[in-house]
Amino acid sequence: MKKQSMWSLRLSTAALVLIPVAVGVNYIGKLLAQLLKLPLWLDSIGTVLAAMLGGPVVGALAGAINNIIYGFTDPISFVYAITSVAIGLVVGILFFKGYISSWGKAIVAGLIIGLVATVVSTPLNIGFWGGQTGNVWGDALFAYILANTDSTWLASLLDELVVDVPDKLLVVLISFGIFKGLPRNVVQLYKNNEKIETLD
Amino acid sequence: MKSISLYVDKESFIHDFDPITKLLYILFALFLPLILLSFTVSFISVGVSIVLLMAAGVIRKTIPVFSFVFLVLITVVIIQGLFRPENETILFQIGPLAMYKEGLLYALTITLRVMNIVSAFLILVLTTKPSDLVETLVRKGMSPRIGYVIVSVFQIIPEMMASMSTITDAQRARGMETEGKLSVRMKAFLPLLGPVILGALINTKERALALEVRGFNSHVPKTYLYEEKTHALSKWVQAILLLLLVGAGVWRIFG
Repeated sequence: MKKQSMWSLRLSTAALVLIPVAVGVNYIGKLLAQLLKLPLWLDSIGTVLAAMLGGPVVGALAGAINNIIYGFTDPISFVYAITSVAIGLVVGILFFKGYISSWGKAIVAGLIIGLVATVVSTPLNIGFWGGQTGNVWGDALFAYILANTDSTWLASLLDELVVDVPDKLLVVLISFGIFKGLPRNVVQLYKNNEKIETLD
Repeated sequence: MKSISLYVDKESFIHDFDPITKLLYILFALFLPLILLSFTVSFISVGVSIVLLMAAGVIRKTIPVFSFVFLVLITVVIIQGLFRPENETILFQIGPLAMYKEGLLYALTITLRVMNIVSAFLILVLTTKPSDLVETLVRKGMSPRIGYVIVSVFQIIPEMMASMSTITDAQRARGMETEGKLSVRMKAFLPLLGPVILGALINTKERALALEVRGFNSHVPKTYLYEEKTHALSKWVQAILLLLLVGAGVWRIFG
């Protein structure tokens, strides 16, 4: 069976319907984290899972559409669509290159994705909020560093880092755990191979 | 089932305008203060958006959004006023803490910018049905497949929330703890989320089949269920917004 490039833009119907589910999973994850009063966001499980199942293009699309939809409940989210796209792309690439294939590798990948999210979000935070993230712990650190050094960038980077890296690490681990638990026929559904383009 | 969009179904002249004009207004409100770089323009821009929101009769719906934004903005004012590196001139002192002029001015810039963006977006979000927006964008050339994906999110999320509450009840009935220490609550996360995700993924198979059977992948030009809705004045409003924006740019470069 010839394997198609992970960059193929010809998405199968199954891969397309995966996107709204991914957005739904993000939403539910966030809701559940609030319901259980967990100190993290956990609002990108769907994006990560979609990127694992469908590849970087599906992941990036899921990320973008996710934030556009969130924008309908909280307009600032539109801006952070760039971060979500980056997360979807990086997870898709790492996964399809085989860098997320065991728990150990998943931890490394989670850290990388957390760093990517931080680097993409920091300029947005500075542009829109003067460098803060809106998370209590991160912003306390932001104030502390701003008081002791004179770099808004450093303060903002660390502010985002302490919030984003643990969050993304946990998100990647949870998604990997769920991915491993999925039945093979579900995983196979989204593979964009010529041979299995017809369903059943 | 509860809808997740903030759209308010009402009759007003703002509701009658097409989504493209509202999108153009967002661009206008976003770029005019950036081009002219003046507090007065930002104030006017925020003011105009709020007047439009009132005219549309949706101002009450903006309160939850604005109160969340204000919560963050208050911390911005405090942190920047106290600690901004450029701080030099003390404005006033509360005990051992000094508030500085530079930091507060910067916080004011941020506040105006955020208010401006949020209020302009709220006009679009509160007075436009998401499906109307998507349909307009598809008419303007967006892929109808992507259009379907966006619209179906609004349908899938309430479905998934319903299934999550069923699963939460079922797991609690089996004796799973969802309250208490952080470790207990962390442990509850996966058993609650896992079944929802699995169920939703399995459902995609049926959804994909149903779509393909109905010609989702056909390349024949798509038709629309509703007629295109345009306001008589929308062309004029669009033209005026663009002219003002270009005029401001020219003024900034040559003025």
